[in-house]
Amino acid sequence: MSDSSAPRVSLFVTCLADLMRPSVAFASIRLLEQAGCIVDVPQRQTCCGQPSYNAGEYASASVLAKQFIEQFEDAQYVVAPSGSCAGMVCEHYPKLLDGEWRQRALALAQKTYELTSFLSDVVQLDKAPAVMTELPTITYHDSCAGLRELGIREQPRELLRKLCQVEVREMQQTEVCCGFGGTFCAKMPEISAKMTDDKLRNATATGAAMLAGGDLGCLLSIAGRARRQGIDIEVRHVAEILAGELYSPAIGEGE
Amino acid sequence: MELQSQHFTRKAVAALADEAAAAQRDAMALFTPVVREAAVQQFGDFEALRQHVKRIRRHSLDNLDYYLARFELEATNNGNQVHYADSASELNSIVLDICQQHDARKVAKGKSMVTEETGLNDYLKRGGLEVIETDLGEYIIQQAGETPSHIVGPALHKSKEQVRELFLEKHALGERELESISDLVGEARSVLRDHFLQADIGIIGANALIAETGYSMLVTNEGNGDLCANLPRVLIICTTLDRILPRGEDATAVQRLLVRSATGQPQTCYTSFYSGPRRETELDGPLETHIVLLDNQRSDILASDYREMLQCIRCGACLNHCPIFTASGGHSYGWVYPGPMGSVLTPLLNSLEDTAALPNACTSCGRCAEVCPADIPLPDLLRDLRHQQSQENIGSPRWRMGLRLHAWVAARPGLYQFLTTRVMSILNKLGRRKGSFHKLPFASGWTDQRDFPSPQGESFMQQYKARRDDRE
Amino acid sequence: MSSESRSRIMARVRHASLGQNAAAIEAQLDDFGVAPAAELPHDDTCVAFMINVLRNQGSIDVAPQRVDVVKAVGQYIYRHYRSHRLVAGNDPHLAAMPWRDGGVLPRFGEIEPGEPVALSYAQWGVAETGATIFLSGRNNPARNNLLPEHHLVVLDVNQLLPDLESLWQQLEPAITGAERPRALFCIAGPSSTADIEAQLVCGAHGPRAWHVILTGEVRQEQLDTALDVLSSKKNPGGS
Repeated sequence: MSDSSAPRVSLFVTCLADLMRPSVAFASIRLLEQAGCIVDVPQRQTCCGQPSYNAGEYASASVLAKQFIEQFEDAQYVVAPSGSCAGMVCEHYPKLLDGEWRQRALALAQKTYELTSFLSDVVQLDKAPAVMTELPTITYHDSCAGLRELGIREQPRELLRKLCQVEVREMQQTEVCCGFGGTFCAKMPEISAKMTDDKLRNATATGAAMLAGGDLGCLLSIAGRARRQGIDIEVRHVAEILAGELYSPAIGEGE
Repeated sequence: MELQSQHFTRKAVAALADEAAAAQRDAMALFTPVVREAAVQQFGDFEALRQHVKRIRRHSLDNLDYYLARFELEATNNGNQVHYADSASELNSIVLDICQQHDARKVAKGKSMVTEETGLNDYLKRGGLEVIETDLGEYIIQQAGETPSHIVGPALHKSKEQVRELFLEKHALGERELESISDLVGEARSVLRDHFLQADIGIIGANALIAETGYSMLVTNEGNGDLCANLPRVLIICTTLDRILPRGEDATAVQRLLVRSATGQPQTCYTSFYSGPRRETELDGPLETHIVLLDNQRSDILASDYREMLQCIRCGACLNHCPIFTASGGHSYGWVYPGPMGSVLTPLLNSLEDTAALPNACTSCGRCAEVCPADIPLPDLLRDLRHQQSQENIGSPRWRMGLRLHAWVAARPGLYQFLTTRVMSILNKLGRRKGSFHKLPFASGWTDQRDFPSPQGESFMQQYKARRDDRE
Repeated sequence: MSSESRSRIMARVRHASLGQNAAAIEAQLDDFGVAPAAELPHDDTCVAFMINVLRNQGSIDVAPQRVDVVKAVGQYIYRHYRSHRLVAGNDPHLAAMPWRDGGVLPRFGEIEPGEPVALSYAQWGVAETGATIFLSGRNNPARNNLLPEHHLVVLDVNQLLPDLESLWQQLEPAITGAERPRALFCIAGPSSTADIEAQLVCGAHGPRAWHVILTGEVRQEQLDTALDVLSSKKNPGGS
């Protein structure tokens, strides 16, 4: 694995994966290594500033954006298991920052990727890192930022097809927001819950037993609402499925 | 119109509880994007059109001084009287003055969101005039004493049963069934026909004003605006400065975007261009025509960072594609313009303070911007409004302080990792067995409606370091 | 009051504008070029126009000769009203039709409330939108387009234009002249509404039906082609 031509990836763990679901970050590393990448994890990374940014707290967000740029700008590639966190770097840092920092943000945006798009479009991973256990039927939740900011739609589906031999069973209104929206879900919980209920109804209507997605924010919110409503659906990050790491309980599930 | 936006969240929750109305909104949210998409596909290169019109609209706003002067000149030469209204109340008094000069008793109105904004109907009524809204949707809500719930379909919140009840109550026409929607339309037609023929004054809005020739463009399906513009002896066009475009072809280019984005039609039934009063050789048409140009903050928006909002063509696509609009219903927004475009405009045209919830009624999902025919970055503008709120200390201080504290800690990686490791480890110990929390202190916003999934265990950073240390 | 507001508004707008001179503004505008038009549903402009008229809930008669026009009008009003009366604008094209041959008795002038059918002569048709175009004036009372139950329109296919840009070119002499027409009407369908439960109903305020009679070098086969295109689009699996 010490091939000098191997792509060198700095993993942007994302704070939700770091704190809530480390298995997603480990799965990401496994997938990247399977694709022949050399992965390092910048140790002082914390949060990219997205919560502050979306709340209009631009000053706080800029501090975190600059910190992030300093930590990651020397990387060959930056990869995050999240469309919204990668979107924050690619789409929003250049809008948030000015002058020299904006130039640095634009340079970083050029080499920052969401995990499935990196695996699919850049390193063309076509073999799973583990022998796959038999998977239940899966439906896929497209997170808004990944879908609309980064154009991620086919990549996770293609990887599931290639690596796990499963066809995603598409739900209705897959392009409609699940109601998470960061602090939105806690600021306007009733409206958010209605949107999540719609998402869960569309997901369960497919007959799928598992809902996969690429963004932990959405998945935590969907799983939390499913638990509250007593809806039985296994919610997982797509990286865990692709890496065959399905031993830990699904999101929101007990031991 | 009286501003009620302070009550957004409460009203939205109430709207969700009305299951029949909520189901009707859900059905609309399924249907309207499909028709729009089909129309966009059928057009051909819709994106090229969108970018072309965006350049024209931006150019028009960049040079609005030039085009406004040109429009005024041409419109005046065409025989119109052009008026300027700085504020809502000034527009109202200009219109009432005109009505009084003509000893008018009855006014027939076409659909106009601008006059909703100024509350013209109530003002004229207080001035002793009978004002009849003639767009079917506007007529229904006028009869019901309500406000529009949607800028294109103002009465789409009403079921046909509700409209039936309303007509049976308001129209003293004897026994009739009004079973079907077409019966209801027929009933409104027969009632409104007399109003058109009797009205002294017609009032309409404008979808575009053409600087080069002084024409104004009116786009409708019902033809009600055209009846208002052609039958009464006086016509008043009430509109805003930002509708000005350079040429006729620019107006029809906008219309190409508008019809497809608004109703998914390739063409509306009536697209009319009016230049002024009846010509000598003509048999019909108004004898006198007025154009009232309302500013009401637009020139301030023009000078601000929100200028792009003035490119809005009022198609309603952002409403139709916004899941929060679908959940909340148009009335929850508490003013004339609901949905994403309304959540930008309402604070700008009123006050940031009284509309604090609106810029927050957004998950930044981006669906509105994706379909906006004017390519307005609505989520960005909403975020900028939240930024302005934060600078002016509007909204919950608890949220703001929480976010600032989080950012402060996150900017200190050592402290961040020290704290988060401990919190996550406690949460994991408490929640691991059940997998999630039903209630959690400091997270009541979350646990109000959903469980909080328990963290998996130690943080990734902690585990990763431990594994690496083992290997070394 | 209003003139003070005018100067205040003008001042603010001037302040927020770029302040370029007229030549620079006009040059920039020219640089933007021409807007893309909608793709036509058929290569033959006339067939494309027909398809769009039908999509707009209109109906069509093909009547190459003047006598065919008269016959088509006669049949239409007889079918709907068992009558031979209608109101027509003072357009010389309409006045010159051999009405007696079709047994039709037009009254030329303005429609009165209660009269059910009006006939208008369209100056142009636009294939892109399936619209018929009228300039207001002595020959074309606006209310004849707006008040009848049935609006019949005669259009010479020589006057068909592909798109809206060509329409503005044709309009140029009229709208840049000393006295511009008071109104230009692009009519593309019967008066309709979807304001109750988003269900489309024709006959909202004005015409319940809009019937286009195409005259000149036009053939029935073109209408058949238009109908074929529409039915194959509706049942894509069927063709």
